[in-house]
Amino acid sequence: MATPIKRAFRTPLAFAALVMISIVALLAIFGPIIWGAQASEVNISNMLAPPSWEHWAGTDALGRDLFTRVLVATRLTVLLTLEATAIGVSGGILFGCGPFLLGPRFGKAVTWFIGIAVAFPGLLLALFFAIIFGAGASSAALALGLASAPSFARLCQTLVAGILARDYVGAAQISGSGRFRILIRHILPNIGEPLIVNATIGAGSVLLSFAGLSFLGLGVQAPAYDWGRLLMECLRSIYVHPIASVTPGVAVVLAGLAFNLTGESLAHALGITSLGDLGLRAKIRSLRHDPSITLDTDEPTQDAIVCVRDLHVGFPAGLDIVEPVRGVSFDIFAGEAVGLVGESGCGKSLTALAVAQLLEEPAQVWAHSLIFHGTELLDCGNDNKETTKARNHLLGTSMAMIFQDPMTSLNPTRRVGEQLAELGRVHGGLNHRQARLRAIERLGAVRITNPERRARQYPYEFSGGMRQRAMIGVGVMLTPKLIIADEPTTALDVIVQEQILDLLGAIRREDGAALLLISHDVSVVREVCSRILVMYAGRIIEELPSADLDQARHPYTRLLVAAVPNMTTDITQPLPTIPGRPPEPGPIVGCSFSPRCPLADDRCRSTDPDLITNGNTRVACWHAGQPLVQIAEVVE
Amino acid sequence: MSELTFHDVSVHFGTSRHRLIAVDHVNLTVGSAGILGLVGESGSGKSTLARAAVGLAPITTGTITLGGKPVPMKGKNRPLAMIFQDPSASLDPRMSVGDSIWEAGRGAHGGEDKQSTITHLLSLVHLDPKHAKSYPGQLSGGQRQRVAIARALAGKPQVIIADEITSSLDVSSQGAILNLVRELVDELALTMLFISHNLAVVRYVSTRFAVMYSGRIVEEGETSAIIDTPSHEYTRQLLAAIPGGSS
Ligand SMILES: Nc1ncnc2c1ncn2[C@@H]1O[C@H](COP(=O)(O)OP(=O)(O)O)[C@@H](O)[C@H]1O
Ligand code: SF4
Ligand SMILES: [Mg+2]
Repeated sequence: MATPIKRAFRTPLAFAALVMISIVALLAIFGPIIWGAQASEVNISNMLAPPSWEHWAGTDALGRDLFTRVLVATRLTVLLTLEATAIGVSGGILFGCGPFLLGPRFGKAVTWFIGIAVAFPGLLLALFFAIIFGAGASSAALALGLASAPSFARLCQTLVAGILARDYVGAAQISGSGRFRILIRHILPNIGEPLIVNATIGAGSVLLSFAGLSFLGLGVQAPAYDWGRLLMECLRSIYVHPIASVTPGVAVVLAGLAFNLTGESLAHALGITSLGDLGLRAKIRSLRHDPSITLDTDEPTQDAIVCVRDLHVGFPAGLDIVEPVRGVSFDIFAGEAVGLVGESGCGKSLTALAVAQLLEEPAQVWAHSLIFHGTELLDCGNDNKETTKARNHLLGTSMAMIFQDPMTSLNPTRRVGEQLAELGRVHGGLNHRQARLRAIERLGAVRITNPERRARQYPYEFSGGMRQRAMIGVGVMLTPKLIIADEPTTALDVIVQEQILDLLGAIRREDGAALLLISHDVSVVREVCSRILVMYAGRIIEELPSADLDQARHPYTRLLVAAVPNMTTDITQPLPTIPGRPPEPGPIVGCSFSPRCPLADDRCRSTDPDLITNGNTRVACWHAGQPLVQIAEVVE
Repeated sequence: MSELTFHDVSVHFGTSRHRLIAVDHVNLTVGSAGILGLVGESGSGKSTLARAAVGLAPITTGTITLGGKPVPMKGKNRPLAMIFQDPSASLDPRMSVGDSIWEAGRGAHGGEDKQSTITHLLSLVHLDPKHAKSYPGQLSGGQRQRVAIARALAGKPQVIIADEITSSLDVSSQGAILNLVRELVDELALTMLFISHNLAVVRYVSTRFAVMYSGRIVEEGETSAIIDTPSHEYTRQLLAAIPGGSS
């Protein structure tokens, strides 16, 4: 918990939110203690005074200092806000979890009721309740709480439904846990975080609404005062001195914003979609050229379609930067299929995303050189709008990226054909008719049967394998020079996997595109690719033709190959395994594989082996090619 | 006696107008103390059949029996346990490893000590007992799947249903989990239905398997016999599709 929250407040906006909310909290706690007496000092001789050095915001109709009154009112305002929010959230939890506890029949009735309640405008509901309960602080809190309950109930319901779909609820049911137990043990703890975040955001709007009710005279009653009431009192003198009447208003807005921004920042850090996303994320525009990197590999190859030299990807971690990708160099030539393998967490995806310029803040990317199709993608400091635009156009038309989850690149709300056609119009310069025909032709090319009809369907009408094909269709709409496919078949069963791999092969032959195929499974990659890069702990540790995989020289590569059972595996023996797991990104001493390597010795543990080129292969290992004497049985 | 038998089991979803027949009159027997493999493409009904056995999917027709008696679908201390495909979805992220395991065994352990029960179960799956205090997020995929296996064992089940338990893992952890499955079934004399879409994986853990295709069992028999002379067209396709296979 601590880390994401700390991370949350590292962006400037979030830091501002933290400062604001702290000030509000401090004022609420200490305001009345420090200025309480001063704020109620009546001074008839100085009524409705304009702002002055003594009275920053002037005085009210009884000559009391307005600025201190605003400060003192913080406590009551915040307390009432929290009270109303608590009522709303409790009501929301009650009604939101009701359908689950009550079972399908009664559940439906509750859901129906929530649906109607949500449809009423909140403030109207609050006014309605406020009038029923009569004017007064606690009845206003109750009114606002009840008015915000439906939307919290809806939120809870959605969250609960999400948790119910999880297998751990199924596992609990199988082991005989009842509904109530599942609610307490599994559901509530898991919806807590998003609920708190949304309650914080909601508190901001409750604060505003409460000010509204007090302003209308339905909330706090004299002699007590909150910001809304102060606003009402000040309004009488708005023509006399406007600054005075604005002060409580400013307080309301700032405090409301403080709650809102705090909630949004938390939501952002915890990866929760809040009710209204402010879009705190910024895209990285370009990669950074790092002239300080001195290159020990060869100079950039000119005729490669992709030429990467000493690529790094880092993330800020406190004052430091951790580097999940620590200096990767490789070439891909036109029409060639190259595999990138390694366990998850080794930096394969980050490498691919960096090449495709798809990494977002706070990721940092730097390299000695990154050339795609003859164009340097790095920002060498002399970039202008034109070059950036040209670069984006190049990436948009000549590089395609295919992910494991097709829904990352298909829009669920639009017809598949339209999505392809739009690409053709925007990037390919085709007119409507041409784009439509090309889209249908491409859907056919990715072996989708009856492409005309399919083009008019939505992604959800496609099966998993078909969606994957449609995404590949999106990728090849514009005849790319390079296709990067990141675990494109990991979620699919073997037959569909085989079809997708065949398809990628065929497109490569027909359109002459190069392919970078990423997978954790060597047996998948070797079927399609002629050359294989093996990655471990953020570096390439071996490169070899895939025909030579069975004679790989790096212990890691050999263990990866041996770990996959095939139809000839000896079933009387335990499968070879790789004990332990890849290291977390961070400082590494010696060979990064040494903690798991059966050949590791003292030199391996103290000195990192260089990546040595030998003909068309590269390997980084002190004992490259030596037999693996003992393949240790795993005890993690 | 812990022979699990599906008698003419069907599972239908949806309304009568849009009916989806996920499982179509399946007859299948998982022999006592051993592993029966079940292969088939995604969407062929493997998982639905598995979920029906543990009461997570509604059975439209047929019965499921264990040792001749109907499998209880309600109440504590059930004789069937299930291991799911993706351990990051099947473990509660807010519950420590130890608590997850202990909670699952509530019905089965009598007056046993919590600590020693958890330690015992973790050591069965070759995990350091210190992980009892860890949360799933702190473990690797392979370690998480070991926890899920320990949790399945906690209720002292007679039958375990393993649904694609290595599909979401790296190949490097897959081998270790397969070794563990074989070891546990031998040691604890468990009955297991082992579901996978990968024939090479099924071949490694089980001597018999069944092939499911669009809701039906289309082939069943000795692993080596089916591989040598597959009788159904789909089985032939499956054999041809194995990466690096013998095709
Ligand atoms: N947004 C991020 N912030 C911090 N670390 C990250 C982020 N994204 C990825 N990483 C880390 O970078 C490493 C490599 O990740 P990735 O490229 O996804 O590996 P692979 O694709 O080989 O599985 C992992 O240890 C991962 O935790
Ligand atoms: S350098 Fe040493 S530890 Fe590293 S892979 Fe080679 S033998 Fe193993
Ligand atoms: Mg990845």
